[in-house]
Amino acid sequence: MTKILVIEDDPDMIEALRMPLEASGHELIAAATGEEGLQKVKEVAPDLIILDVMMETTTAGFQVSLQLRSPDPQSEYAAYRHIPILMLTAIHTTTSLRFGPDEAYLPVDDFVEKPIDPDVLLEKVHALIGRSQ
Amino acid sequence: MELEQVLARLVNGARQVLQADAAAVLLLDEGGAHLTVAAVSGLPAAFRQRGPIAVEQSPLDGEALAGQPIIVADARTDPRAVNVPEGYRSLLCVPLMHEGDPIGTLHVYAIAQKRFGEEDAALLMGLADLGAAAIAATCALTALEALEASKAHFIRVVTHELRSPVTVAQSLVRSVRKGYAGELTDKQAEALDRISHRLDFMGRLVSDLLDLAAGKAPELTEKEGPVLLNASVGRAMLIFQPRAEEKGLDMTLQPCRDPLVVWGTEEGLDRIFANLVSNAVKYTPPGGTVTVSVRRVDDQARVEVADTGIGISEEAFPYLFEEFYRAPNAKALGEVGTGLGLTIVNDLMERYGGRIEVESTVEQGTTFIVTFPVYRWPEGGIG
Repeated sequence: MTKILVIEDDPDMIEALRMPLEASGHELIAAATGEEGLQKVKEVAPDLIILDVMMETTTAGFQVSLQLRSPDPQSEYAAYRHIPILMLTAIHTTTSLRFGPDEAYLPVDDFVEKPIDPDVLLEKVHALIGRSQ
Repeated sequence: MELEQVLARLVNGARQVLQADAAAVLLLDEGGAHLTVAAVSGLPAAFRQRGPIAVEQSPLDGEALAGQPIIVADARTDPRAVNVPEGYRSLLCVPLMHEGDPIGTLHVYAIAQKRFGEEDAALLMGLADLGAAAIAATCALTALEALEASKAHFIRVVTHELRSPVTVAQSLVRSVRKGYAGELTDKQAEALDRISHRLDFMGRLVSDLLDLAAGKAPELTEKEGPVLLNASVGRAMLIFQPRAEEKGLDMTLQPCRDPLVVWGTEEGLDRIFANLVSNAVKYTPPGGTVTVSVRRVDDQARVEVADTGIGISEEAFPYLFEEFYRAPNAKALGEVGTGLGLTIVNDLMERYGGRIEVESTVEQGTTFIVTFPVYRWPEGGIG
C-alpha cells in the first residue's frame, strides 16, 4: 500500500481527496499545516506528497516544497528529496496560471487544479508514483 | 509625499522665512474642538508630544481659527498668550484655511519681544495658505490610498472566503458523484449532478466578479505593455479545444503571419479571448464550427470569433454588455453563464483602446469582431 501525505488545511478538502485515494487502495496521512507536514514527512516517509499551495499563509505551500527540495546536502530533508510532490493550486482558470514546476523557484512535479476532478487526480498520482518507483 | 514631510517643510519654511527662533503647526481634530501639535521646528520634543489643546482654553488659537492673524508683542503681558513654549516673548499665529474652513494654526515664536509686525503677518498668512492646500491634498491622497488598499484587501478576502468553500464543495461532490464513496442510485446521481451544476455556476460567478473587480482596479493587474496577439488567441483556443472536441465542434484558427503586437496586458488579452472563444463553444450546437481569425487591416489588428451557434436576437443586442444580462435563448440552453463575461471583455477592450462589434443571426451564428490599434514601437526600437 502506498502512503500519500496530504498537507492541506481544509478538512473537507482532505475528505474530497480521501475518497478517490482510498478507493484506489492508497493510505492517506493528513497534515493541517506546513510545519506538521514537514514533521510527518520524517515520521512516515511517504511515497507521494500532495501539497496545498495556500495554507496558513499564502506562501506556506511554496515554503514546504522549497524546504523539502533544498539542494543543501546537510538539509534535514535530504533523504526525502526524491519524494514526488503534487501541488494543489487555487488558480481558477488555466489562463491565469503564470507558474510552472521549476527546480529553483517552485520545486514540485505536477499541479492539480481545484476544484479537484478525482479522475485527473488519480491519473497524476499514479503517473508520479510510477515514475518514482 | 507623506503628511509628516509636508508638515515638516511647512514648519521649517515658516521659521526660515520669518527668521523666527521657533515654529509649530497645530491641526484641528475632526470635531474642531481640539488642536494637536503636529510638527515643530526649534522647539523641544516635549512641546510636540503634549496632548490635545482645547480650542476654548487657547484664546490665541481660537481667534486665529476665526480667520485672523494674531500678533503677540509680549507674551508676558498679553492675556491671550497661553500655551506659549517657555522662553519666547513674541509670537505670530495665523490660521491654516482650506476652502474657507480652518484646519489648524501655524505659529512662529521669537525670544525677543515685539519681533513681528503686520508685514510678517501677511507673509505668514500667504505661507499658511500654501501649506493648508498641501496638507489637504496629502490627506485626500492618503484617504484615497487607504480606500484603494481596502478595496484590494476586500478582493483578496472574497477570493479566499467565497471561492474556497465553493471549490471544496465541488471537489467533494465530484468524488461522491464518480462513485469513490460507493455506488450511487440513479436518483442520487441526478441530485448530485444538479448540486454540481449549481456549484459550477457559483464558482464561475465568483471568478467573474473578481475579474470584473480586478478589471476596474487597474493597480491590481500587471503593467500594461506590448503583447503578442497571436499567442494570446492561441492560448484561448488551446484551453477550449477539449470542450469543443467533446461537443463535436470543428474549431479552426487562422493566425496572422505577422507577429501582431497590441497594447494591453497578457492577462487581460487572455481573458478577452478566453471569454469570446468560450461563448462560441458554449452556444454552438454539436456538429457546428468555431472559426477564429487574426489579421491586420491597415494599422488595426482584427480578431474575429465566428460560430454557427444559436445567435443573438435583436432584442438582446442593446443589453449584451450589461452586467448579469443573459439572452433568453442562451439561458434556455442550460449552459453555465453569469452574464459577466462580455461585460469584462467590453471593459478590457475600452481600457486597451480597442473596439468590439457583433454580427449575429438567430439560429445561424454569431461573429464577435475585436479590433486593436497595432502597437508602434518607439522610434529607434525594433520593427
